[in-house]
Parts: sequence; C-alpha cells; structure tokens
Amino acid sequence: MNFWEKVTGNDLRREWKAFEARAEALPDGYRAAWGQIIAHLFPYGDFTGRNLMPILDAALGLLEVAATDGQSIHEVFGDDIGGFCTALAGGEGARTYRDRWREQLNRNVARKLSRLGG
Amino acid sequence: MEDLTEMLKGTLEGCVLEIIGSEETYGYAITRQLNELGFADVIEGTVYTILLRLEKNGLVQVTKRPSGVGPPRKFYTLNDAGRQELAKFWAKWQYVSSRIDRLKEGGR
Repeated sequence: MNFWEKVTGNDLRREWKAFEARAEALPDGYRAAWGQIIAHLFPYGDFTGRNLMPILDAALGLLEVAATDGQSIHEVFGDDIGGFCTALAGGEGARTYRDRWREQLNRNVARKLSRLGG
Repeated sequence: MEDLTEMLKGTLEGCVLEIIGSEETYGYAITRQLNELGFADVIEGTVYTILLRLEKNGLVQVTKRPSGVGPPRKFYTLNDAGRQELAKFWAKWQYVSSRIDRLKEGGR
C-alpha cells in the first residue's frame, strides 16, 4: 500500500469491492448474516475502518467455509450474531470509539485533579 | 445437557486445546466433536472465536489447506506453547473440580 492509496482510501475501496463480490456468492441466509455482521462490527471501526478489514475478512471466511459445509446460519451463530461479533472484535483487539472517549475522559479528570493540587 | 454455556465459558478454550492436541483438525470438526461429547449448545461461531484467540496468542500452528469444494480450510496443531498451556489447563481443572467435589461431599 503506497502513501497515495493510504490517503485516498483507494485500497479500502478495492478491498470492499472484493468483500462484496465474495458476499454475493454466498447463499441467501448467509448474505443477510453478513449484513448483520457488518452492522455489528461497525462501532468497532476506527476513523477509516481500516482496522475492521482483517476482522471482516475472518468473518467472511467463516461464512464461506460454513456455507460449503452446508451448515445453517443458526448452527454457526446460534441466535447471537451480536455476541459473535463482540467476541470476534475483542479477540482481534479492536478498540471502539467508546474506549477512546473513556481514556480521554480519564485523562482530563486526572489533569484537572492534579491542577487542584490535591 | 442444555444451558451449559455460562458454565462452559472458562473451560471451552481448554477443551479446544485438548482436541487440537490429539490430532490436527479444523473448526467444524472441533464443533462436531464437542457436540457429540454432549455439549450440544456449542456452536461453530464460538469455537471459531476461540481458535482466533489461540492463534493470536501463539499457541497453535495454522496451515491453510485447499478443500475439495469451496475455499481453503484452516487446520490447527498445537505448538510447544500450546502444549504447555494445555498442561496448565488440566492442572487448573484438577484443582477446581477437586475443590468443588469436596464442597459437595460436605468435607472441609
């Protein structure tokens, strides 16, 4: 990935295209699950969403293999796609915007407290 | 038995390590083995996130093999760190289960 692609996000767009093509090839129920996975993982994204790419790739890989095995979506995810996404994002160490807000808040409070000279 | 999810949470990783330890295997086969063992509630998504964690923690070796149909599959074997982790798991399990048994028998 060169600098230009990094700034414009061209490489991301290309990766998205590839994801979409792979998702198109999935059976019906699986495509719907893919949509839900994207929606659930979205809050874990950073500014560009670049950190989500390997996580989405892993999830799509699982969908592809499970579809080949002839498993139902329910066999793969139970009724908790949200829980799966949380585990997936947590396992990959994705930080959410909430983590950053929390840190920012903690930093600000600590600074103000120290200024009070406690 | 149903509703084991909460109880299994902490031990499932050890179970997966044990299964991988006995032979090279892949996600779906691990899930099936756990189901046949009587853990009917275990789903592939859960096993898959455990496998990713094991991979990230460097406990398994992953080989991608093309399958007859569909995309290539990831096969897992334990490395030395994985075998150590598995031994630790069984030691912890032995400790917990012996204490709980003792509690149940009313011993102190």
